[in-house]
Amino acid sequence: MTSLLTKETAGTTPTSSLPAPKYPRVFGVGRGRIVQYGVFVVLAIFVIAPIIPILYQSIRTKPLYDAAGLFTAGNYVHLFSDAGFGQVILNTAIFAVGTTVLTLVIAIPMAVLVVRTKLPFGNVLGQSMQWPFFVSSLILGFGWITLYGPAGFISVQVRQLIGFVPWNLYSLPGMAVTEAVGLAPIAYVFCVNALRQADASLESAAQVCGSGPLRILFRVVIPLLRPPIVYASILIFSMSLETLSVPLLYGTPVRIQVFSTFLYTNGLQSISPDYGVLGAASTIILVVTIATVAIQAKVLKNAQRFISVRGKAVRPRLLDLGWVKWVAAVAIVIYVVFGALLPILGLFFRSFTLIFTPLQNPLQTLTLANYQRIFTYPVYIQSITNSLTVAAIGAVLVSALALLAVLIARRSTFRFGRAAEYLALMPQAIPGIIVGIGFFWAFALFPGGSIVQGTLAAIIIAFGLRALPTAFGSIAPAIMQIGNELDNAARTSGADWFGVFSRVLRSLLRPAFVGAMILVFVTMIKEYSAALFLSSAHTGVIGTTMLELWVQGNTGSVAALASLQIAITAVFVAVASLFMKGHTHA
Amino acid sequence: MPEVHVSHLSKQFGETAVLNDIDFTINDGEFFTLLGPSGCGKSTTLNCVAGLEQPTTGAITVADTPFVDTSRRLYVPTEERNLGMVFQSYALWPHMTVQQNLAMPLSIRRVPKQEKGMRIHDALEKVGLAHLKDRFPHELSGGQQQRVALARALVYSPTVLLLDEPLSNLDAKLREQARAWLKRLQVDLGITTVYVTHDQDEALSLSDRIAVMFDGHMAQIGTPTEVYERPATAQVAAFVGSCNFFTGRFEGALGTVAQVRLDCTGDVVTVTTDAPFSVGQEVTLAVRPERLRITPARSDAAGSNVLNTEVLTCSYVGSRYEYNLRLGRNVVQVVTQDSGLAGAVRLVFEPGDALLYPGAAVPSEEAQELMTV
Repeated sequence: MTSLLTKETAGTTPTSSLPAPKYPRVFGVGRGRIVQYGVFVVLAIFVIAPIIPILYQSIRTKPLYDAAGLFTAGNYVHLFSDAGFGQVILNTAIFAVGTTVLTLVIAIPMAVLVVRTKLPFGNVLGQSMQWPFFVSSLILGFGWITLYGPAGFISVQVRQLIGFVPWNLYSLPGMAVTEAVGLAPIAYVFCVNALRQADASLESAAQVCGSGPLRILFRVVIPLLRPPIVYASILIFSMSLETLSVPLLYGTPVRIQVFSTFLYTNGLQSISPDYGVLGAASTIILVVTIATVAIQAKVLKNAQRFISVRGKAVRPRLLDLGWVKWVAAVAIVIYVVFGALLPILGLFFRSFTLIFTPLQNPLQTLTLANYQRIFTYPVYIQSITNSLTVAAIGAVLVSALALLAVLIARRSTFRFGRAAEYLALMPQAIPGIIVGIGFFWAFALFPGGSIVQGTLAAIIIAFGLRALPTAFGSIAPAIMQIGNELDNAARTSGADWFGVFSRVLRSLLRPAFVGAMILVFVTMIKEYSAALFLSSAHTGVIGTTMLELWVQGNTGSVAALASLQIAITAVFVAVASLFMKGHTHA
Repeated sequence: MPEVHVSHLSKQFGETAVLNDIDFTINDGEFFTLLGPSGCGKSTTLNCVAGLEQPTTGAITVADTPFVDTSRRLYVPTEERNLGMVFQSYALWPHMTVQQNLAMPLSIRRVPKQEKGMRIHDALEKVGLAHLKDRFPHELSGGQQQRVALARALVYSPTVLLLDEPLSNLDAKLREQARAWLKRLQVDLGITTVYVTHDQDEALSLSDRIAVMFDGHMAQIGTPTEVYERPATAQVAAFVGSCNFFTGRFEGALGTVAQVRLDCTGDVVTVTTDAPFSVGQEVTLAVRPERLRITPARSDAAGSNVLNTEVLTCSYVGSRYEYNLRLGRNVVQVVTQDSGLAGAVRLVFEPGDALLYPGAAVPSEEAQELMTV
């Protein structure tokens, strides 16, 4: 080995060649590989743990911990013959399709108008599309009932004016409209991103050929949106298959059942739950949701080929639609105000009154009693601290696990890298209530599970599983932005896989990691469905407590708790983004 | 001695073979270039040497240390190979200053603080950037970033320097200057260098030896003169420099001078060749544009091969004139210092200026279409 400085250049000191670094090996593999296997095993256990007991239970005659049970297909027969599951499937299909269609009807025009046309107050309107992310669909449901429910503020007002209420919120269409308003921002974000990335010269080309703004919209812009639309609609469809909040609030009084509420009533409300039927129903729902997510993954894989991404950041000229733009702006304002702003304000207002109705001036009954009730009972206070604890610990743990999973999936030669990615994204297909049932049974079935059962740790595990795909999805694009050559440069310089991360990627990924933690925190503060089965008397979270108070008829306290949850989220996000702003300039 | 031996190197991605049985040896201190069009496997070869990719079969040895040997299931990971590498995008770590970028490989090797500072200073001095050591990469120009990347690859005195198209992100003028500078530095350091490029000018001007690759096969290894003057195949002739190709039939040979009847005009021309051909065999004649001469139709043409043609176009490109001539249905390119030739002219070349290849080895169909009238 010769030194490269054998020919000494003037003015420099002779330096000798340095030895190559050596890394210790355990069983012939480096420390990087050991970490990779470790993370993969943790991921696999984490994701598969709640599924196995469900599959097992669905083919047992007795509850799964009862050794006297036998294998049977009877649960499935029973499910379809007696349990009324056919009607449930039909309801779910109507609800999911309706929600998907309505969501697209709201989201696509809005995305096109905001990104591609001159819209009065376009920026403000675009920003306001992001708020529902911070509000759980449970709270949105409460808000809508407060305003548009049979005894809602606006319903009563309308009845006074025209003698009847032209809508019925407690119906499948009512559920679909509410859910669509809540989910539209997700589809909106997909379309907006695609529109921002699309090659602006395609529009210019159409303009040069003599097309007017409307023709450009309908012949060029919207057809190019097909891939994100397809992807978003499958995503919305799978989300409406698993949602619990709105169907539970609207459907229970009028006995309309969908997948999630079927599990809820059969598992939690029935006095002697039929575990076999519960397992069988869960299995069928799992098959359906996993299938839709698999389709979605396949579509996304192909969709990326269609989106025309160019390196040049050309900001296209915005199209001018003339008078149509005012109509469009008003339509968006109506969506934002009536869909979200008023229900939330109504809920907030409700939290400070005893009775909330236009028949009586609500200012007469202004009160703090709703908040007082929450703060007098330790259980209610505890549910708030529980939510905060779960979200804070979960945010750190889940983001760390997601970061490792992303590194393994996208930045290693690890054989099971792809598998790790699928594992991390799979919980997206597992409805929250099934996560709850699954872990409940898993803790009962596997040795050592009883230590976790009924503790906050159980809640953190279940909520963490639900939030894992979110965290993975927020870190993965960030790592794709970092050129692979930076890793390779570190490798040739002598860093092993672990060294690449600790010396180079760690600092570069810090903003993405903080972003993921914020996202996970917000997701876990909103989450409750997985806790329905897992919470003991002292491990309730805000969501489960709200539901409990709602069933008791304490709508004022529900409104108070909802207002608190929104306030906590808002304060947290505001502080976190301030912190982010100060630290992005590295 | 840091000699690099690559033997029977193959790489398969699923069904497609990216490298087919590549063999070469790089001598100590040599500037060795892997040249070829994109997708020919040159970068894959370099990455196999670097350890960033694992070959399906084959062995690589650097300075008598085996890095890869699939028959012995041996693989030394990249970080333990002690190679220096410069990437196309330079791959400077954006969150570190120039100095910190250079310090990282040294701190991995646990170099004492004082020596570290000395080495960083020396390396930056070599590339003339010692005064910019506290800058961040984004505060540097493209050319400066490229030099920092080089300094970072040299700071720990690697055995071999690997360069993956390091000049391709610079603009044309700067690239030429950077090329000359890089050559001087390499000669100065005497470090064994493997260079990957698709730019034949870079390859010719920088290299001690060039390996030309197509579709995962090694087409020719030789000095720049050998590769340009005596390309092993018509494909090499077409890729390195430009070349006119004519298909024809072998008519016979007198010693080393072969007679070929051209398909385009029916004329018989003579070519010097060592290779044996049989009478009536299909052959391809290749002549570089600068080896062809044009004389006016009236004058007596002195030369062995004289063909009657006419001028299609003439373009002035500064240092020379480029003519397009019609020969049958073919377009012939000629580069000359003479101006003002037009109409009917004669095309002249010596037997030693042309090359002969077996078969109808025309370059690409698209190029052929463009060269037909």
